[in-house]
Amino acid sequence: MRNALLIFALATCTPLLAEPPLPSEHLTLTTLPPNTPHRIYVLDEAFNNEIDARIHVFDGDSYRRLGQIDAGFNPGFNLSPDGKTTVVGTTYFARGSRGTRTDVVEFTDNSTLAVTHEIVLPTKRAMTLPTYFNLGYSSDSHFLYVAYVTPAASFGVLDPAKGTVLEEIDTAGCVLVIPSGPNRVSSVCESGRLLTVTLDAQGKEASRAMSDAFFDPDKDPVFVQGVPTSAGFAFLSFLGEIHEVDFSGAQPAFRASWSLLTPADKAQSWRPGGTQVAAIHRKSGKLFVTMHRGGEGTHKSGGTEIWVFDMKSHHRVARWPLAPQKLAPAGSIQVSQDDAPVLFVATEKADVAVFDALTGQLRHVEKQLGQTPWLLLNQ
Amino acid sequence: MRSIDRLFEHSSRRLAQRTSRRSLLGTLGQILTGAALVPLLPIDRSSRAQAADGTSGAHKPDTDVSGNKKTTDDPMSCEYWKYCAVDGFLCSCCGGSANSCPPGTAPSPITWIGTCHNPADGRDYIVSYNDCCGKTSCGNCECNRNEREKPMYRPSRNNDLNWCMANADSNYHCSVSVILGVAEQ
Repeated sequence: MRNALLIFALATCTPLLAEPPLPSEHLTLTTLPPNTPHRIYVLDEAFNNEIDARIHVFDGDSYRRLGQIDAGFNPGFNLSPDGKTTVVGTTYFARGSRGTRTDVVEFTDNSTLAVTHEIVLPTKRAMTLPTYFNLGYSSDSHFLYVAYVTPAASFGVLDPAKGTVLEEIDTAGCVLVIPSGPNRVSSVCESGRLLTVTLDAQGKEASRAMSDAFFDPDKDPVFVQGVPTSAGFAFLSFLGEIHEVDFSGAQPAFRASWSLLTPADKAQSWRPGGTQVAAIHRKSGKLFVTMHRGGEGTHKSGGTEIWVFDMKSHHRVARWPLAPQKLAPAGSIQVSQDDAPVLFVATEKADVAVFDALTGQLRHVEKQLGQTPWLLLNQ
Repeated sequence: MRSIDRLFEHSSRRLAQRTSRRSLLGTLGQILTGAALVPLLPIDRSSRAQAADGTSGAHKPDTDVSGNKKTTDDPMSCEYWKYCAVDGFLCSCCGGSANSCPPGTAPSPITWIGTCHNPADGRDYIVSYNDCCGKTSCGNCECNRNEREKPMYRPSRNNDLNWCMANADSNYHCSVSVILGVAEQ
């Protein structure tokens, strides 16, 4: 019996004895790889436990999570014009889920994902769905604007370099901040007009002007999720009209609207829907929209198909159904701006799919990139 | 606070323009009478209700592919008629009820307003969607319905804003639906 045990012990230990032991390891800190056009910032609202939102930094080539930026409660976020900084406008409570409220803008260095500094705000920050327009930089990065709603609407003018709040500008019921040029901010009004406030060098109001209405908020409202174009933003309406607004001049200029839908499409009740319903590849003028079939009240229903349009001809050039790819309806969409663009689609099941934006070929599905990936931003 | 007053004044004026005291009293009487009759009535009173297997449960879609509404009589279901513009967690699944905040939370004094059709009596009702505040999100029975909901530039009709914003503890927990009165046709 003793011999049998010895033989068993030798037999089981021999392979271990034959291999050299693993070397000791050193704890290191990963550095972020260089930025690429296919890097995407995915805001997870973490709606089931909303005080713990975060931004996942994801690589559309390696399909790896590169890191995380914390985002607090019900945040907005944006990127600086040079893409080097992420700004998160958020709220913290002193005892986690309760206690004294602090509203703050946090600046993260996108080469390290470390928070570099912050600016404490008045407790007026607009707590709402994340859009491009919750906070945003002036074109020269000298000002940062933050939308306030108490529910009275106004916005804060911040100096990101000095870390100070300069001014609060009353917007008379018009909401959100659409920056243009070095010193203009437009807000969307209940009447379908745009209020544009021009600032002086100190960030004080120099003048303001109200545009004509560019959509009918009663008959066919636009999503507040504007889509960046070469000269401004395009706003999609619930019924599929495209309103392109040129923000390059002193006042916004409106191009003639056009429809995504043919009469046959309308008869089948196709319409855009979701949280971030469209993206534009600006160089090629391709517009990608999350489309579904539904009636009144379905404007937040995700797209069962992605439709692709040529912004010049206004023609649909492709439609990519998602069900054959075993993907849930699309709630948010974004496209990279390089010559080999990839399309990112966040589904209602919190998966993020990566497509070849030129062909519609599905390249990868990242399962469960957070709970509720509602806003996808890139440079 | 002036802005809150303004919002309430605006909502109240609009409500007053669309309803009368007589209709409200009548409605209250019907609600009280209806409450007493509920056990006697069949479960599915909705002429617009779809097949039961497609409507139960809080996470099912609220419309079919052609946009027809599906409603139920279950206040723990997203398809309950009164929830036609709720975007959030149902307080009835979080320790409260369709019109009562869960223990330990605080109702929001400001709110958004919807108009929902009750298939049981064929009337449209003005519904106040208050948020319940002061604890982190409930995470149960998420409901996202948006009939006549408008984007944030129409704040009194918008369900994306955190209506706990003016509370001392502005953390969002769940949403309730409170009948304000009958909407005049």
